[in-house]
Amino acid sequence: MTVYEFAVYEMLPAAVLGFAAGMVYRIARYLSVYKRTVRPRRRARSIGHSLVHLVKTFAYPIYFSIKEERIMFASGLLGLHILGVIPLLFLFSHHVTWWAYYFPPYAALKRLAIPPSATSAALTVTAPVTPVSGMSGIFVNTIWGPLTVVLNGDVLAIIAIVATVFKVVEKIPKKVVGKVSYVRIGDFVALLLLLFILVTGFMATQHLPSGEIGVYKTVLGLHILGAEVLLILLPFTKFFHFVFGYWYGKLHEWYDLVWTRGV
Amino acid sequence: MEAVVPAVKKALKRVDPVQLHFLENCVACAACESVCPYTPISKLYSPVNKAEELRFMYRKVMTVSGRLLGPLVHAKIPKTEEELEWIREVAYRCTNCWHCYTVCPFGINSGSMISVLRTFVDSIGMTPTILKAFEQFEASGRFMENEGLARVWQQILDKASEAVGGDLPLDKKGAQVLYMPWLAEAMFVPDSVVNTIRILSKIGVDWTMPSKPLAIRPAVGSVTGNLEQKKTVLSAIDSYLKEFGAKTVLLSDGGFPYTDLRFELPGVVGRVPEYRVLHLAEFLVELLRQGKVKFKSGSDKVTWHDPCKLARASGVIPEPRILLREATTEFRELPHHGAESYCCGGGSGMGCMTRELHEAMGQLTGMKFELSERESNFIAKAEEAYLKSIERKMRDVKQSEAEIVVTACPVCVETIQRGASLYGPEVEVLHLATYLVERIEPA
Ligand code: SF4
Ligand code: SF4
Repeated sequence: MTVYEFAVYEMLPAAVLGFAAGMVYRIARYLSVYKRTVRPRRRARSIGHSLVHLVKTFAYPIYFSIKEERIMFASGLLGLHILGVIPLLFLFSHHVTWWAYYFPPYAALKRLAIPPSATSAALTVTAPVTPVSGMSGIFVNTIWGPLTVVLNGDVLAIIAIVATVFKVVEKIPKKVVGKVSYVRIGDFVALLLLLFILVTGFMATQHLPSGEIGVYKTVLGLHILGAEVLLILLPFTKFFHFVFGYWYGKLHEWYDLVWTRGV
Repeated sequence: MEAVVPAVKKALKRVDPVQLHFLENCVACAACESVCPYTPISKLYSPVNKAEELRFMYRKVMTVSGRLLGPLVHAKIPKTEEELEWIREVAYRCTNCWHCYTVCPFGINSGSMISVLRTFVDSIGMTPTILKAFEQFEASGRFMENEGLARVWQQILDKASEAVGGDLPLDKKGAQVLYMPWLAEAMFVPDSVVNTIRILSKIGVDWTMPSKPLAIRPAVGSVTGNLEQKKTVLSAIDSYLKEFGAKTVLLSDGGFPYTDLRFELPGVVGRVPEYRVLHLAEFLVELLRQGKVKFKSGSDKVTWHDPCKLARASGVIPEPRILLREATTEFRELPHHGAESYCCGGGSGMGCMTRELHEAMGQLTGMKFELSERESNFIAKAEEAYLKSIERKMRDVKQSEAEIVVTACPVCVETIQRGASLYGPEVEVLHLATYLVERIEPA
């Protein structure tokens, strides 16, 4: 069995099951520490106030980091999230096809798909082979038009890789020189796993290290395998914020500060 | 050292789903770092770094991986005196201002975690002596037996009755408004109590106040993490208010006593009280809206410092501004204000970490605060950090070009006054009642 076959046919159901079990475990832990309490009378505020502040609750950290923490904003939020992992994961054309295969309604997002490169839907500007599509220099036919210059797999993957490397590297002096205790081994593991997935994905799209089909499939298999490992580990790593922590945390903050206390 | 494990378990009993989220979902992005008043002193005092001390214990006691793998997954229980001393140090580099809470992309309230850490510190008997003394005094309910404290209170009553030109309506059953000043206000910002009383008399409200304060500053246990003390004190206050038949409970203290009475008390005593708790700012805005008061407007260059507990933790943000805009045409905001206001650095007991206060309290109460060498060093270092933490706020004040800073929490008044003398600018720092008393009139 090849790595590719293992990743696609054997590991996938196991990864989905592992993820589901991990999620159930994590949620059960929340329920296990539930304590009944008497809530205070809420401060009367209009529904409009509560809704506007719902948006503000989510927006304030972003606004604050743009204003006061530019490097962190550029590397963390912009590089890793807004321009990196989120569009790549959900809109990169190959991923849209993959998601739509398992969940057909996802095909509705095809028009939003982000092509692998600015000049070709099939190959890429930085590919080691010359594009043969005849479309070199012409924007591919997606809804993004000229934005494809930025919104393409090549550029986004490079941004995400650079941001991830930055995130790994910036932690080292904090830990070694600054002696802070909040830099955790698990964060390095999670970021290096993400880096592995990004690099293998980029390599597969580029047909690196060679265009030979066996090599290509192995690299792609490793990419998928990495993503599956991440899926299994997701409920137990910092990636949990993506499916739960972010939403629960900010909604709770809103409920506590805005809804109850009227901030 | 035998006390450590039970103390860890006691602190971790406070873990509920929300605390669990705080403990487990931090991604170590350090976005919370720059808002904390104590980070400029050392990055080791950043919210996430301080809260991590609690996470170490949590992982060791409450997670499978922590129990099995220990330090490999950053799970440990403190074992040495140095480790315990460090935990006390980080626990007392926090004002519980909650700015880290709102700026965290995941709504993680490191301040609340540090409060849990203080429960641990308290349980191993390492709460700073002065706070422990306040805490025990308050819970005993016998603090007025102390001559010095009783004298302070009597002086306040005398001053106030002199100011209003007659007897105060003390313990008057059936009054519409029950004003509750605390002993700490009488000690540190006596003018705020006297001027609140003057305002109430001047605008003709049917009011009363207890002849003796019900607490030093309730509940000191909120500051030290001693939840039993907090329950004792808040339950006693609640029983008093219930028996008194209070309808509106008025506070001039906009610090943690406001959040304790307004938002924490129901959870602590297990019922939603029938009385409402208002801060002076809210109360006066109500009267203004009902057309019962008006203001003489001047042109003082005034700014408002939002006490963290009153603004970020309670939403009393528009009210003081409405009042100050009525009272002056030259009101201006600080660069960081409202829910985004910078903490002054003095809250949650940090303002008590000065040698000067130890001496003053010793003289006043006749008590001798015997500090070990270790604790003396702890206090000296904490004082240094506290005094440095104020500088950031003073930069904001300078930028506003205000000549008067008005606020509503005794600790904020005291801290910003200190900041002005240490770092400038030259400003007057006044409690809201003191600023408004000459400007408010019955309509
Ligand atoms: S901002 Fe929130 S997630 Fe980031 S380090 Fe601070 S507590 Fe952790
Ligand atoms: S609550 Fe305030 S003082 Fe405490 S850690 Fe958070 S930002 Fe710092």
